[in-house]
Amino acid sequence: MSVLTLAIPSKGRLMEAAAERLARAGLAIERLGAKRGYRGRLAGLDTVEVAFLSASEIAQKLKDGKVDLGITGADLLHETIAPGDPSTKILLGLGFGPANVVVAVPECWLDVASMADLDEVSESFYERHGRRLRVATKYHNLTRRFFAEKGVTGYRIVESLGATEGAPAAGLAEIIVDITTTGSTLAANHLKILDDGVILKSTAVFAATRAASTDPRAARIAAALESANPT
Amino acid sequence: MAGKSRPEREALERQNATIMALFERAGFDHIAPDILQPADIFLERSGEDIRARTFVFTDPSGAEMCLRPDLTVPACRYHLSHAARADHEARYCYCGPAFRFPDETLSPQEFTQVGLEWFAAPQPAAAEARILKLAISALEAAGLTKFRVTLGDLGLFSALLADTEMPERWRRRLGHHFWRPAAFRELLDSFCAGHSRSRTSISDLVDRVSQGAVLTTVEAELDARKLPLVGGREVAEIAERLEGKAADRREAPLSRDKAQRLNAYLAIAGEAAAVAKDFAGVGGAGRFSAAREHFDRRLFEMEELGLNPRRFRFAATFGREIEYYTGFTFQIEADTASGPVAVAGGGRYDNLLADMGSPLPVPAMGCAIHTDRLKAVLA
Repeated sequence: MSVLTLAIPSKGRLMEAAAERLARAGLAIERLGAKRGYRGRLAGLDTVEVAFLSASEIAQKLKDGKVDLGITGADLLHETIAPGDPSTKILLGLGFGPANVVVAVPECWLDVASMADLDEVSESFYERHGRRLRVATKYHNLTRRFFAEKGVTGYRIVESLGATEGAPAAGLAEIIVDITTTGSTLAANHLKILDDGVILKSTAVFAATRAASTDPRAARIAAALESANPT
Repeated sequence: MAGKSRPEREALERQNATIMALFERAGFDHIAPDILQPADIFLERSGEDIRARTFVFTDPSGAEMCLRPDLTVPACRYHLSHAARADHEARYCYCGPAFRFPDETLSPQEFTQVGLEWFAAPQPAAAEARILKLAISALEAAGLTKFRVTLGDLGLFSALLADTEMPERWRRRLGHHFWRPAAFRELLDSFCAGHSRSRTSISDLVDRVSQGAVLTTVEAELDARKLPLVGGREVAEIAERLEGKAADRREAPLSRDKAQRLNAYLAIAGEAAAVAKDFAGVGGAGRFSAAREHFDRRLFEMEELGLNPRRFRFAATFGREIEYYTGFTFQIEADTASGPVAVAGGGRYDNLLADMGSPLPVPAMGCAIHTDRLKAVLA
């Protein structure tokens, strides 16, 4: 039987929660080699290899078929894999790591409550200032899809790799699309979420490539993870 | 298949040389606009959507560049940098590659576009007819015999909207949403229904602003909540929009008659020479009747050039999806065994050069032919 590769986030809360859930499901991760090695295997499933990757890499590797199974955030998966793309299937929502991808604008924009307001502001901003509104985000595809769906076109995306919420105060962008759990970082930066500005409610998911999604080992891991769900 | 073989390349070049010879004989100057373009012009004008269809990259100095997704904007840039005066008449034609990330299956990402642009043409209606005639002649010279022509005229709708009595704010918003039919209908309905229906997170503030002294209210609110002014908009700008929202509430709903007239116009479609009676049914004086005269004049000019408008179809909503057109628009589709295939299109775009920095307004129009598709259709 060929070996399946399961990709797990290599650090952070997502990694801890994934490891804990797997252990509770009776599939504890055993790291191979040095203590901080980037390979491992699942106890009791010796034909499944574990690869520790950055959470954002996992979606891309699933899409490219470089790994067979993966645990990562739904936000990253949806950013990388377009709706209707058959290359990857979500097998199970894991419930941990809840966070929303949202559109947030400066709180001082007292006249803006909705995406429709933002659309109007984008037009008047262009007329008044001669340039487009800038959206700081690392979620280019989610932003583009959501804005198009809401009919907002007069904006530009500026790349943001860290501390996105600081971009408006730093004058690098006017609005942001970012992930938030409690909204407190947004509030601290005087940003507010639009009434209809939730793009995605994200949690961690267990996903598989199309080929691996029908593998009995994928089903076994999914079943184990589901039965180990504390709620 | 990667690349073209010698016979394929020669056949395409022969076809395109025939078309270019025709354009040059008609007095169009054969230029070669840049293939590499600053991405800014495309992104600023069309917004972020175009990035998803365009090959954008950074040059070694960090500037954002793109492979041109079409040749109209590059030809405009050529004109602005070469012409002694932007508003002097100029006629250009070109033949070269354009690049688009394919949005439909089988559409190539690299293709050869032939086209022409005509700036500051003296007789608008005659020039519009002439552009259509040239596009049709070019396709016929290449060997196309079976095709259908669809016409549109965004000037008619702008005129009707301008004639319809309503607050200028509403008119601007409807004009903006013309490009998105579903949003347009929703907005029109909301104007008819009156504005008090749904409450949002800013409704309370709009209530307070309605009492008057908008600017003071907004400043007091920002102070009280200790909100720093980030995001590049001034307090006056924010206050102005709130005032508009408050005014919307006081406004009487738009009469169903007026909305009905706009919708009746948008529903018009049929043989180009016969839709005049439908325009009459929409009624309207002022600007709309002037736009109708322009439409009739253009039909007359088409006939003068030997075209038969009874063979063309008019649709009021045609041209809705391409945001830079401002007046006459057309599309030519080849009839093939597997259905119609769009091979050429064009129209009037009077605001583009000013948007790109021309100090003077420059009326402009043009057309483009998708030569690879044409070749495939004729094979």
